[in-house]
Amino acid sequence: MEYVNPEGLRLDGRRFNEMRQIVAEVGVVSKADGSAVFEMGNTKVIAAVYGPREIQNKSQQKNGHALVLCEYSMAHFSTGDRRRQKNDRRSTELSLVIRQTMEACILTELLPHSQIDIFLQVLQADGGTRSACINAATLALADAGIPMRDLAVSCSAGYLNSTPLLDLNYVEDSAGGADVTVGILPKLDKVTLLQMDAKLPMETFETVFALASEGCKAIAERVREVLQENTKQLEYRRAA
Amino acid sequence: MYFCLNCVVIMVACSVGEQHFLKGGIAQELRTDGRKRLTYRHTYVETGVIPQANGSARVRIGGTDVIASVKAEIGRPSSLQPDKGKVAVFIDCSPTAEPTFGGRGGEELSSELALALQKCLLGGKSGAGAGINLSSLLIKEGRVCWDLYIDGLVISSDGNLLDALSAAIKAALTNTALPKVQVSAEVADDEQPEIDISDEEYQQFGTSSVPIIVTLTKVGEHYIVDATEEEESQMSSAVSISVNRAGHICGLTKRGGSGLDQSVILDMISVAKHVSETLMNKLDSKISKIHKQLVDSIVYGSLFKVEIKHNKLHEKIVISFGSRD
Repeated sequence: MEYVNPEGLRLDGRRFNEMRQIVAEVGVVSKADGSAVFEMGNTKVIAAVYGPREIQNKSQQKNGHALVLCEYSMAHFSTGDRRRQKNDRRSTELSLVIRQTMEACILTELLPHSQIDIFLQVLQADGGTRSACINAATLALADAGIPMRDLAVSCSAGYLNSTPLLDLNYVEDSAGGADVTVGILPKLDKVTLLQMDAKLPMETFETVFALASEGCKAIAERVREVLQENTKQLEYRRAA
Repeated sequence: MYFCLNCVVIMVACSVGEQHFLKGGIAQELRTDGRKRLTYRHTYVETGVIPQANGSARVRIGGTDVIASVKAEIGRPSSLQPDKGKVAVFIDCSPTAEPTFGGRGGEELSSELALALQKCLLGGKSGAGAGINLSSLLIKEGRVCWDLYIDGLVISSDGNLLDALSAAIKAALTNTALPKVQVSAEVADDEQPEIDISDEEYQQFGTSSVPIIVTLTKVGEHYIVDATEEEESQMSSAVSISVNRAGHICGLTKRGGSGLDQSVILDMISVAKHVSETLMNKLDSKISKIHKQLVDSIVYGSLFKVEIKHNKLHEKIVISFGSRD
């Protein structure tokens, strides 16, 4: 099947280095300490952060550091078919991966004896849910006022029809080509998440990785804009 | 319909002073957020939020935010009721609403809500008094029918979940369009007939008899409509009444430990009927306003698929055209 036509256009009309449309909003769940909704094309994720609060389970306590817990769940209607078990292996793996990414960027040593809960709810899944979750979690943590080293952002890229493609959607992801997900801390220029499935020759991998990192930098700009706009709104409401 | 109080109560810490303030305010027709006893919070309805579902809606009542989606799949009618389609209701309480819903914590509440909504929509075991006409889901008697899966998701919870979910399900059903199905000519009894699902023609789902739920919460000596989480934590008992457009009671449940006088329950039912009329009118007018906006703006409806999104943060409407596939 042709995923990139001879003119260089993909199935949804994008070029190889174009991302899907991003819509991000902060403060959607009023009860949570911080929350955000992040959309990448048709993938839509809500993140809610509860914390820092008292540790619920003393046995999990970490010495001198805050405990970061993460749970990823998909709504029954998020995918094309309805089948979605709540605690399946993919959800467990994703919860672990996202927790590790966020833990690396939160300044946990500033909040000992406390617990930070990050809950991710996928409303619509169309490829790149992992990345959308990390981006939403970053926004929600910033909204909750939790100190972080940097804004963790993530993007995916793949390789189909001999072309590296940025930000795969579900159809492109299930095509059988490689799918590289990268999470970076843009200001510090460090990689916090790197996952790939299928196989790629080394040079191709480097090109795809570089493309995903560029995508991450663009998302970081957008995330920063959204947070600054939110701060401005808060300032207006505080008034003179 | 039965309800167990234990799983529905969500812990809200209220000092003695706060409890007196709540109860006193309700007694004087002035609740903590300024509402009267029988006033609903600001309700916001949005339909078509899940593009891949046959119908969907999102309802926000104050701080409570729920999404309902309706998915239709081709199935086989059960042998006990070969002239009816099937409907199943599932509710999921997302941990984003409440940290205790994480892991398996929200399961009890989810199943209680799902059961209550299923009984309210589908009536008794024989199908008597159902809000949804199951016979309209039939395609070929005994062989092919529609299976409707109604999924509800609670994103944010600030009390009054049942009302919000029933309103969202009604709005989602109004938004549902089932494609027209052509069944091939007669085939042998044990073979599945060939079905042709149309891409062009749709039929809207009739929801005039779908009921909504109104919950009346008794706090102290008076009862209130649309309780917030704080108010629910102070309730002595609550009655959830399911009413349809014709004013018929489709279901009733009482929860809470304290007993209620007979006259009080009858009074609550008449109050619920009165309140449900206003709520249903509000819901119906909001849904028809959305439909009218969509119809007015679809210029080349048959050639392009138009998606309209109102971006609340930047106060603009984003209209995107896509090719029809």
